[in-house]
Amino acid sequence: MKEWQPKILAFLCNWCSYAGADLAGVSRIQYPPNIRVIRVPCSGRIDPIFVLKCLENGFDGVLVSGCHPGDCHYISGNYVARRKFAVLKAILEFIGIEPGRVQFSWVSAGEGEKFAQVISKVTEDIKELGPAKRLVKSF
Amino acid sequence: MDNIEKELRTVIAKLFEEKKIDLVIGYTKGTLPLVSTPIFLKEEKDVDKLIFDVSCGNNLVKYLKRHRIVNMKDTKVAIIAKGCDGRAIVQYIAEGQIKRDDVLIIGVPCEGVVDPKKIRSKTNGKEVSQYRIEDKKIILKGNDFEISLNKSDVLSDFCLRCRYPNAPLYDIFITEPTKSVGTKDEYEKVNEFEKLTSSQRWQYFENEMSKCLRCYACRNACPMCYCEDCFVDQSNPQWFGKGTDLSDTIIFHIVRVIHTAGRCVDCGACARACPVNIELDLLNTKAGKEIQERFGYTPGLDPDETPAMAAYDAEDKQEFIL
Amino acid sequence: MSNNSSNKSVLVVGAGIAGIQAALDSAELGADVHLIERTPSIGGRMPQLDKTFPTNDCSICILAPKMTECARHPGITLHIYSSLLSVTGEPGDFQCTIKEHARYVDPEKCVSCGLCEEKCPVKIVDEFDMELRQRKVIHRYFLQSIPSSYVIDSTRCLYFTKGVCRLCEKACAADAIDFDDKDKIITLNCGAVILASGIDPHNPIGYGQYGYKRFKNVVTSLEFERMLSASGPQRGHIVRPSDTEEPKRIAFIQCVGSRDIEKKNDYCSSVCCMYAIKQAIIAKEHIKKTEPTIFFIDIRAFGKDFDKYYERAKSQFGVQFTRARVAEIKQDNGDDLRLSFTSEYGKRESEVFDLVVLSVGLEPRKAMKEIQDIIDIKFDEYGFCRTEPFEPLNTTRPGIFVCGAASGPKDIPESVMSASGAVADCAEFLALKRQEKVSKKVFPEEKDTIGDRPRIGAFICHCGTNIAGVVDVNNVVEFAKTLPNVEHAQDIMYACSQDSLDIIKENIKEHNLNRILVAACTPRTHEPLFRETLREAGLNQYLFEMANIRDQCSWAHMNEPELATEKAKDLVEMGVAKARNLFPLKGLPVEINPKALVIGGGLAGMIASLAIADVGYEVYLLEKKKELGGNLRNIYNTLGDKDPQEFLRDTIKKLKDNKLITIFKNVDLLNIDGYIGNYKTAFTEENGKSKKEIEHGIVIVATGAEESKPDEYLYGKHKRVTTQIEFEKKIADLPRYKTIVMIQCVGSREGERLYCSRVCCGQAIKNALLIKKSHPNTEIYILYRDIRTYGLMEKYYSQARDNGIIFMRYDLEHKPQVEPLGKDNINGSLKIATFDLLLNKKVTIEAELLVLSTAIDAPQANKELAKMLKVPLNKEAFFLEAHMKLRPVDFATDGVFMCGLAHCPKNIDESIIQAKAAAARALTILTKKIIEAEGTISWVSPERCTACGVCVKVCAYSAVELKEKTIAPKITRMVAEINEALCKGCGVCAASCRSGAINLRGFTDDQIYEALSAVRI
Repeated sequence: MKEWQPKILAFLCNWCSYAGADLAGVSRIQYPPNIRVIRVPCSGRIDPIFVLKCLENGFDGVLVSGCHPGDCHYISGNYVARRKFAVLKAILEFIGIEPGRVQFSWVSAGEGEKFAQVISKVTEDIKELGPAKRLVKSF
Repeated sequence: MDNIEKELRTVIAKLFEEKKIDLVIGYTKGTLPLVSTPIFLKEEKDVDKLIFDVSCGNNLVKYLKRHRIVNMKDTKVAIIAKGCDGRAIVQYIAEGQIKRDDVLIIGVPCEGVVDPKKIRSKTNGKEVSQYRIEDKKIILKGNDFEISLNKSDVLSDFCLRCRYPNAPLYDIFITEPTKSVGTKDEYEKVNEFEKLTSSQRWQYFENEMSKCLRCYACRNACPMCYCEDCFVDQSNPQWFGKGTDLSDTIIFHIVRVIHTAGRCVDCGACARACPVNIELDLLNTKAGKEIQERFGYTPGLDPDETPAMAAYDAEDKQEFIL
Repeated sequence: MSNNSSNKSVLVVGAGIAGIQAALDSAELGADVHLIERTPSIGGRMPQLDKTFPTNDCSICILAPKMTECARHPGITLHIYSSLLSVTGEPGDFQCTIKEHARYVDPEKCVSCGLCEEKCPVKIVDEFDMELRQRKVIHRYFLQSIPSSYVIDSTRCLYFTKGVCRLCEKACAADAIDFDDKDKIITLNCGAVILASGIDPHNPIGYGQYGYKRFKNVVTSLEFERMLSASGPQRGHIVRPSDTEEPKRIAFIQCVGSRDIEKKNDYCSSVCCMYAIKQAIIAKEHIKKTEPTIFFIDIRAFGKDFDKYYERAKSQFGVQFTRARVAEIKQDNGDDLRLSFTSEYGKRESEVFDLVVLSVGLEPRKAMKEIQDIIDIKFDEYGFCRTEPFEPLNTTRPGIFVCGAASGPKDIPESVMSASGAVADCAEFLALKRQEKVSKKVFPEEKDTIGDRPRIGAFICHCGTNIAGVVDVNNVVEFAKTLPNVEHAQDIMYACSQDSLDIIKENIKEHNLNRILVAACTPRTHEPLFRETLREAGLNQYLFEMANIRDQCSWAHMNEPELATEKAKDLVEMGVAKARNLFPLKGLPVEINPKALVIGGGLAGMIASLAIADVGYEVYLLEKKKELGGNLRNIYNTLGDKDPQEFLRDTIKKLKDNKLITIFKNVDLLNIDGYIGNYKTAFTEENGKSKKEIEHGIVIVATGAEESKPDEYLYGKHKRVTTQIEFEKKIADLPRYKTIVMIQCVGSREGERLYCSRVCCGQAIKNALLIKKSHPNTEIYILYRDIRTYGLMEKYYSQARDNGIIFMRYDLEHKPQVEPLGKDNINGSLKIATFDLLLNKKVTIEAELLVLSTAIDAPQANKELAKMLKVPLNKEAFFLEAHMKLRPVDFATDGVFMCGLAHCPKNIDESIIQAKAAAARALTILTKKIIEAEGTISWVSPERCTACGVCVKVCAYSAVELKEKTIAPKITRMVAEINEALCKGCGVCAASCRSGAINLRGFTDDQIYEALSAVRI
């Protein structure tokens, strides 16, 4: 039987993390093919509801990635986002969602390799956790 | 207590007399003992209906905003405010829901309100017809019984760990601010719960939330849930289902906690309103703890401070970010 | 000086950050711009840098959007891989001859897939990576190059040198290799030229004592920068070259090739102290246990927030600072390095390091020297372009302007400012007119698709074998055909080629498509191209979506074709789901009132006003005091021989003579209301006598700063203690004193003012030299902490020492002590005691005069003004720019700019440059009748809004306001309103809105919901 492949949704900000993902590709750095990317202008665009919907839909994991502190194309979008993410992550783990399911990263436009590392790590973490069950809605 | 009520009535009577107010939002006796009910007092002659004691649990602040919406702009309103009510008012000011001058705040010294559920368990469900407070005791009388209980055994959990028993802002204070604050560690329950494994916690919430009827009493009682149109009722997109699917239900509660994070004033209205006794405060307190520890922010204390989730600090902790 | 030529084109020489900025601003003003660049990509030095000081911003992250903007601007023609041969003709009508080098790869056809590079057999050292790695002969200049196409280095190509190979040609599926390509000589007619030729790093080979190239572990700072870079040859892992071990101790040696009379580089390179501090901090971030030490003469952290960065390096990161000139480096214990130096206390010492970084200085580009005669401009003794202090952007030849480090060492923000500033001069020179249209290109009228059922066309690109070699493209096409609303799906060889774009257009017509999905490479580079194609086909450009199945799929999963195909299908399905929910967007046209408001009538305000009026726009100039001139009124001399008072008189006369400028004095601002293009300002003039209201399109803040009055060193208590400004007034009639003492950094760089006041070192030396001129026997002592005569000012520091002026250093632990000589005598001489660090003992000086170089303070009134304009201040109440590096005169809020000391302390020439820069940035708005706001911006559903104000607080652009609105019959209440002219479309407000009242066009909740729900799980 084929190895189980988790599906992970990745929200990437246009100016840094999405560019970092492109750079990983341009540099032909290989990483697991498990992410599905939604491009957003800024990590500040991410409403925690998006992440919850991904979990309910059955994604095995969610990654949200933005610009490093100070690099935000929109000055402070990632700072505002960081507070939301901190609360979301704390609450999710508190109710018993496994810590690896929802992860956050800062990846700059120059960090192709870091992007690949982040995706590898997140994918490995989620493979270890197995398919998502908690919060998944059976339609 | 008698002193407080007496002074409260005198003060309000005087305010009416001096035409400084047109309306008072306060408490009056409910049909059941130990369960007061809100009253909207418009005339001086009714002041004796006002009460303030351990039965006055409701958070009245929710009515402030409703009043504003129905275009009673020229009505001068006074509100009776315990610590948590007062904090909700401050938060309303910080969030632009009311202006400081819109309301006359009458602070009352709150030494805690009873949790009717705790009372019921102590009396084995028997009906209480009378009660009185004697120092740290509460004496309950029914048809065929009289028991004396430690107040601390029947006060709401919220009150037992309350840090702000007096309204942070007030125009008039009845008697004087109390010094007695809750003795319990505010995060004790949360800290204990955090020690469980992820699976145990999930199990707990699954059980707890499966009781939820999606009646939205928690939301309707919460002073901070003042959206015109709650996210859960919206379409385009309709993010989550409205039925009693467990995932939908848990997510509803998660989003409600996220939406009240950094705003919740620990009044306990949600838990009090829940008909199926879901321990809603666990989640709220966890969010409050996170906000306090990470951002050093306590909601409802300073109307000029930017609420935590509308602010940022470049140096905010980010240990969870890869 | 303006000319009447009708030629409105500008040649910008050099596409580094200065050239890019100059090109962008000129083009925004309506000029036709030719931008030439020597290397195969625009970008200049910035792409080589890892991070930038003092914010540690990622260099390429902040530059890349500007590069893209520059490459896509319809007013800019790029001439990449080209050099300037000559400039002949007359000002206003130059003939500029340039050579476009053959690339041997057709940039129109090249899809930057890299297959050619794989096959190319010849490796050579990569100059972009400072020779730290090898590249192929056919190469892309750097990963984020623009244009991204490849180039063949013909001097090393086997085909060109030996007539064999052509493997790249066989590998290229796009048929882009063209061995017949030839160098082209072309002549451009340009009205004006802006030189932005930049700098070269100093080659330290001449410093034999440091062993560069002899010792493996001695590297230059630019090499180290590449080592730090995440996309550099070591992928950001710092290892020393000799043994690839992480260095435990790193030494930075400052002033290599700077401040060195022997090397004829008797100037300060201005940026090395800061970049060394930055590199030390980043090194420390990369390797926690590493111990960086910086060997320096003076730390010149003179810019905005630089000193804070310096302090943080010491306190937070533990960077060691050793004040010593390193005499020699010897190898020790193999490849370790022993540095010998004499400490500040006169002791000979040596220390061993694993790695040594030589902080090499900036030199004028050697290639420029060669064309000096051809373009007929004068250079200074170092080879920098010669300019005059009050005309810092003019070369010696009319019509040729200069910006960036070509006229002297500059950091990035100064380069950007000078670039914009040069454009202001250029605009006046070319007499640019107001622009009628938003865009230069004409498109067919847009089809109204509202209400039509979505009819989606899906085009799946092979990108040669780049995608198709991994992803089963046909499988993806067949899958796309099954998706709801997809009317047409097909594969396409190279979606971005012209014939493919035509195919897309034909299909739009044939199938009446109203949404387009292209699954190909990245929208970051290609979305604009496809959007333009939609516009050409009469569709709204926002009805387009891309699925990135190359950069983020086939290239990243080359060994897992099945999973990559699955991923590509998901990405296509998500794209189709989003496309289904797209709706047409249009940027709101905002009319621009073509008048400017300049707040502050000091030097910066006056220059900005003139620069705007000289291009033909009305200016209201508001001054708080009764006279124009600001601080310049108190400055009587400059380093050099220019008379600032004459310059002031001339400037005021020009202002008064200019009919477009209305001056108001004794002004008190009451209120500023409005937004870009549409401001209303109320103020009183003549001390409240009359109230005025004016309307204008932009605001320039030039409120200046003031010399602070100290409360130490007996100032105010003793008659013979004075400040530099007070002193300067009296200098001409100064009696012959035996001894004068000056104390630097009075109030600066300590306590609440943790910043350098920047002008004082130069000012003290200027005044000291003046005294020496008239009274050569007067002894002058300057007590300093660091002498910060950065840039070309350094030579005056040398001159001062040659003139016998005595410089003595003190530190904060041993501040000088001042007491009257003789008890209770406040008129007599003074006794100044200072601790001589070299002699390690207290020294007492008797002086007849003590001059204090006091700190520059931001006016407290800035706080009020900042509130009115809704713009931020920094901790010390100087105005805070939109971006410390790349937007140094802009505020985050569009339409508001700043210049002069309102921004931070600076010298006269710098204020002039920044004032012109602010004017140019303002002119990019004023010269347009209408600007089009962005399409992808937020909107509010008022019925849902509770006016909680979160959106107002989280918006970085002041684009959200709460306003009273009637949202339904009889329901009037406060609701949020987005100012479409100010919104940048980040979506922070939408994500923060609990009520779901705010949404972001182009990234709506709906679209995101559909996209994430489309994935089959």
